Amino acid sequence: MKRSYLGEFEEIVLLTVAVLELQKQAYGVAITHEIIEQTGRSVRLNQIHSALDRLEDKGMVKSEMGEPTAERGGRRKRLFSVTAYGRRTLQEIQEVRVSFWNRLLNPLNSIGQRGWGMG
Amino acid sequence: MRYSPPRFADKLLRFFLPDDRLEEVLGDLHEEFRWQVVRVGERRARWRYWRDVLGFLKPFAIKRKQANNHFDDYSTTYLMQPTMLRNYVKIAFRNLAKNKTFSVINTLGLALGMACSLLILLWVQDERSVDAFHAHKDQLYRIYMREYFSGKMQGVIWTPGPLAATLKKEIPEIEYATAYEWPGPQTFSVGNKVQKQSLNAVGADFFKMFSFKLLQGTSEAALKDPNNLAISHDMANRFFGSPEAAIGKTIRFDNRKDMLVSAVFENLPKNSTLQFDCLRNWDAYVDDGNDWAKEWGSTDPLTFFMLRPDANPAKVAAKMQHMLDKFNRDEGKPAHTELAMQPFHEYYLNSNFKDAQIDGGRIEYVRLFTIVAVFILLIACVNFMNLATARSGKRAKEVGVRKVVGARRSLLIGQFLGEAMLLTVFSVSLAVLLVGLVVPAFNTLTGKQITLPLLEPSFWGGLVGLTLVTGFVSGSYPAFFLSSLSPIRVLKGIMKFDSTSIWLRQGLVVFQFALSMILIVGMIIIYRQVDYVQTKNLGYNRENLIYFPLEGNLGNQYDVLKTELSQLPGVADVSYLTADPASNGSGTEGISWPGSDPNEKVRFTPVGVGYDFAKAMQIKLREGRDFSKDFPTDSSGFLINEAALKVIGFNQPIGKTITWGKQKGTIIGVLKDFHFQSLHSAIRPLIGYLRTQRLAGNVNAIVRIKAGKTKEALAQIETICKKLNPTFPFTYNFTDQAYARQYQSEQVVSKLASYFAFLAIFISCLGLFGLATFTAEQRVKEIGVRKVLGASVGNIIGLLSKDFLKLVLIAIMLASPVAWWAMNQWLQGFAYKINIEWWMFVVGGVLSVVIALLTVSFQSIKAALINPVKSLRSE
Repeated sequence: MKRSYLGEFEEIVLLTVAVLELQKQAYGVAITHEIIEQTGRSVRLNQIHSALDRLEDKGMVKSEMGEPTAERGGRRKRLFSVTAYGRRTLQEIQEVRVSFWNRLLNPLNSIGQRGWGMG
Repeated sequence: MRYSPPRFADKLLRFFLPDDRLEEVLGDLHEEFRWQVVRVGERRARWRYWRDVLGFLKPFAIKRKQANNHFDDYSTTYLMQPTMLRNYVKIAFRNLAKNKTFSVINTLGLALGMACSLLILLWVQDERSVDAFHAHKDQLYRIYMREYFSGKMQGVIWTPGPLAATLKKEIPEIEYATAYEWPGPQTFSVGNKVQKQSLNAVGADFFKMFSFKLLQGTSEAALKDPNNLAISHDMANRFFGSPEAAIGKTIRFDNRKDMLVSAVFENLPKNSTLQFDCLRNWDAYVDDGNDWAKEWGSTDPLTFFMLRPDANPAKVAAKMQHMLDKFNRDEGKPAHTELAMQPFHEYYLNSNFKDAQIDGGRIEYVRLFTIVAVFILLIACVNFMNLATARSGKRAKEVGVRKVVGARRSLLIGQFLGEAMLLTVFSVSLAVLLVGLVVPAFNTLTGKQITLPLLEPSFWGGLVGLTLVTGFVSGSYPAFFLSSLSPIRVLKGIMKFDSTSIWLRQGLVVFQFALSMILIVGMIIIYRQVDYVQTKNLGYNRENLIYFPLEGNLGNQYDVLKTELSQLPGVADVSYLTADPASNGSGTEGISWPGSDPNEKVRFTPVGVGYDFAKAMQIKLREGRDFSKDFPTDSSGFLINEAALKVIGFNQPIGKTITWGKQKGTIIGVLKDFHFQSLHSAIRPLIGYLRTQRLAGNVNAIVRIKAGKTKEALAQIETICKKLNPTFPFTYNFTDQAYARQYQSEQVVSKLASYFAFLAIFISCLGLFGLATFTAEQRVKEIGVRKVLGASVGNIIGLLSKDFLKLVLIAIMLASPVAWWAMNQWLQGFAYKINIEWWMFVVGGVLSVVIALLTVSFQSIKAALINPVKSLRSE
């Protein structure tokens, strides 16, 4: 599996983007607050921003400028959305995890599967 | 309640963060701030805001941006980055290489202009350095006199002989004073070595006043004894081989007197106005047959003095102003002559009189040429600006693209100025090279010893300054105008220049040609004046007239000399006079006549002459006759000139008696006015007396040679002189050459003015040529269309030339009055001068127009001859 490495924190950010994207709320502050709420970690804005930058570099998210809002002093938001590549990456990570969980829950099954598969 | 986050934090962020990220990040930060205010209160929110901002400033955040080469991440181009600098230099070079014509015109024009200015400034500096090397220069002064002449005050630089000694005695503030008299070249011999050297007579304090370096001897003893002689290094070498060998030796002077070498001084620098080969003691000179120098009424030497360091010059000036009254009264003369003083080192540049006050002189040339230097440099800069403006159409697209990809305005300004600087540096290097090549010829022309001061830091400092200023001036238009263009308009192609740019360009052309026109008219007028001065009828015939000193035996045996010379087939007339025929500066006031006002003494120029004086000089007589051997009574007769007659006011002057000192005499003839001084001054009253005694010293034989026989006559004259006077070398002068030498500075100015005018118009034309090329290029399609529609080649040339012609005509109109004013000022320095006439401006104007047309026509014709098929193919 030749994919860019996705760190745990990046993965969370990417997931948050994927979730918030549906409500058109995937931008810096909202993502930060969501992560704090959901994970209880104390993340800071600049961490989120640099994580987003990295994700963008890796091509997993893309961004566009949104509408200006008053509470931001008339400034626009940068709204992120997950790219197809990002989505696939998330899915693959999820699949890898699911397969490990399956093996953890049904150890025999997984060995058998493997053995048969080899044959 | 609304709180705002810390401003300074925002500023910090703005400075460090790339512009394109700023909005989003600031937005987020502000939104977070609001939320935090609600959650934890304003104070903690602010604190957290700071923490967040600092978080964004982590170095890696910035570094990441720069390393990023994403297509949409173009915004940070730091000027100081080596890659970018290299890029700028590369672009500058490419631009220069791409537009070879423009680059060559620019560099050449600038280099020529700068070389010219540099040369002039070196000359100016040299002029200003004259006489400034004396250690006591702030204490040194020279005296001039102010006296009434026909009811008007006049300034005179020649002073009475006893003045120096009296000044020192009467005014305690004066430490030293000296007379300074140059009797001209004298003959010196050591063994069988015979040489003519210029001998001056000065006071014993001379070397204590002036910082001429003594190689041998002391300033105290150098001129103390009557027989002392201080000689130059050169003279010592010539006679004795070295300064050391010369000291204490004797030199035979005038083949009648032995003098002792008491000092040897270093050869005089060229930037000293005092020039001589050797010096003798003034008192000894007076006793040596120059009794006139004991009288207050006769003037000839200059007088210099040195103040004590603590003296107040204004007080001294007040003390000396009426000092002469006492002496004049002692000699039974009315009080009417005032003394005034001038700092010594100023006198080289300021020696003209206006209403008996020092007013200008060479300083006017210095100013004139400084202005010319600035003008020429300006013309060259204007070229640069103009060509840059013309090309800005092409460069505008580049500017647009650069702006679109994120170049900041300051960067663009930097780039254009940098390009201009690069070109200026080329030009300056070229200019220095040019000056180095031209300096020897320039020195020959101006009689100077200018060198490029390559070892002086101030020169290099000046050069760097010049480069910066020129680079800035010439690069300023493209830098500030082009960088302000809006990229959208430029790239859309609506970059037709607005009227300001066209106005600017046309204004510059007008300015340039106006300057050229002023220089051309100036050149014409200066040339005419110098020509006028040199061909003016002087009242005597200076062609074929030679003169030589009656020295040694020539004076004693004048009758033999005259007889022998008169027998030569090539000689017409022989006589003599006590001066140099071309310039005579001495004066006397002791003349009175029946009816003369004892309160107004008039200065006459006295001249002792021989028989046939007027005949030999070919001076016309208004009345009466020349001195003649046939009239024994002529020994007490006088010849006067018309100017003198006007002062005296006799109706029938011949036979009337006038008194000179104690001697009475009758007027035997009235000479028509002739110029015995340069044309800078008006003809003064002249009195001629028959000199029969003491034909030595300042007496010159004058010999009129028949036209076309100069060469053989000179050889024969030399033979006769050698025979009569074997111990003296025969040297002679042509009067016309001696006369011309008086106008050396005018001749130099005339030549320089013509060179500079030529250069100025050449540089202007370079610019015009560039502009014409550009216009032709721009309108090539229009021309194609016109040709297709039936315009002739002539039509098109006219079309293209008309615009330029209009500008040149405006320039001529603007320049003419300025040129008239400036040249009128210059001509005021001459008592006899040409009139400024209208045709001079016409010639200047026509010349400008023709030159401009020729320049433009080359490009116009080229454009007009292009086959429209070619120029319209792409449409």
